[in-house]
Amino acid sequence: MTSRNEYLLLPVSRAYIAFTILVAVILNIMPWGRDFGIPDFLALVLVFWNVHQPRKVGIGIGFLLGLLMDVHTSSALGERALLYSLLSYGAWFLHRRVPWFRIVGQMLHVLPLFVIAQCIVVVVRVATGAPMPGWWLFLQWVSTMLMWPIADLLLLAPQRRAARRDESRSL
Amino acid sequence: MDKSPPPFFRQGPSANARLLFFGLMSIGLVVADARFNALGGLRQGIGNALYPVQRVLLMPRDALAAVGSRYAEVTSLRQENAELKRIEALNAKALLQVEQLASENKRLRDLAGARERASVRSVLGEVLYETRDPFTRKLVLDKGAKQQVLIGQPVIDAKGLIGQVTRVFQFTSEMTLVTDRNMTVPVVLQRTGMRSVAFGGAAPGRMELRYLASNADLKEGDLLTTSGLDALYPPGLPVGRIERIERGGDNDFVKVLILPAAEIQNNHLLVVLQVDTSAIPPAPPADTIDPARKRNRRNL
Repeated sequence: MTSRNEYLLLPVSRAYIAFTILVAVILNIMPWGRDFGIPDFLALVLVFWNVHQPRKVGIGIGFLLGLLMDVHTSSALGERALLYSLLSYGAWFLHRRVPWFRIVGQMLHVLPLFVIAQCIVVVVRVATGAPMPGWWLFLQWVSTMLMWPIADLLLLAPQRRAARRDESRSL
Repeated sequence: MDKSPPPFFRQGPSANARLLFFGLMSIGLVVADARFNALGGLRQGIGNALYPVQRVLLMPRDALAAVGSRYAEVTSLRQENAELKRIEALNAKALLQVEQLASENKRLRDLAGARERASVRSVLGEVLYETRDPFTRKLVLDKGAKQQVLIGQPVIDAKGLIGQVTRVFQFTSEMTLVTDRNMTVPVVLQRTGMRSVAFGGAAPGRMELRYLASNADLKEGDLLTTSGLDALYPPGLPVGRIERIERGGDNDFVKVLILPAAEIQNNHLLVVLQVDTSAIPPAPPADTIDPARKRNRRNL
């Protein structure tokens, strides 16, 4: 049984998942400066794979990648680890539900997920002595949500190829 | 089978258990790092492993900047040249005076028997990137422990004090801006010689003076420089100018906002002053500091 708008897909390869996560890490490490509208590519890719392949990408991977990003952004060690763990869990929680929606519906599912996870992290950080950040903090999650259709297009592309090439079909 | 199997199959610990485990571990790490600074080694390890990746990723940006500046329009270069010539002319007089003043100062100091002020070693650092952490404002410099950069050393730009080194890796170091909430700088008001302490975090991109009596002699535009009283910041570095003085309100103190002299926003080259921090006693253990002052203990 597949959902309304989900094709029967080819099995995903672990190497491709690893490759996309690597690209996301690189995109996140790029020197974007402090413009807060920059999407969090790694969070996007993690949530995406947790929704589509929850058996291959889990909370532990989110945690470890979060530690890596913590060192890069010089935030308190564990801050992004917590964020990505929460996002991975939330994505797992939603993984049976989200694919049944069209792309806009999916985006409306992930935005609250991003915002709730970020709120929890803000609470933890403020409780451990950090100042309140401004509301613009949530801007990046809106832009991350807007990247969801592109992620859907790119990350599932290898699985959408035909199993056997057929001259009469374009794909 | 993409989706997780029904729960009656064995599939390791449940997602709830995993979230609990990793969530608690993250929170434990945040507490250990933010409250007790206990994770230096782990961070050093990850940071040094990450360094080559960061440098490679910065290459395209630096190459683009190099190409861009090569083809920069002649007009903008001419303008820059003219501006630099103007500044040089302005500086020439001051420089000539400086030499004369320095020799005069030396003679006077000899007369007074005062100890010669040791000239401070320094190292030129390039800003690699600005961190994206929403809770603090930091810059990452391309000089680290290899170049004898130490925690606590002040960092200046062409116009004044810009911050302090707060974390050192092997090849890079992190600098906290003077406008960060955790920063304090001992300052002296040039016009009157009044000493005070400037705190960061008052308003975005501003510092403030606290607990000054409402009849204190202050004017907008007054220059504040480091007083050198903490043996950390060399005396005389410009810190900023008084931007706004708010008298009145519900208590007897004035609120004084300071616009930093340094260009906080766009800086490329900075100088780390390699002050000898060994003479400074270590910070007292956290529990002996009274809670009201806890926030501002970063510096000394």
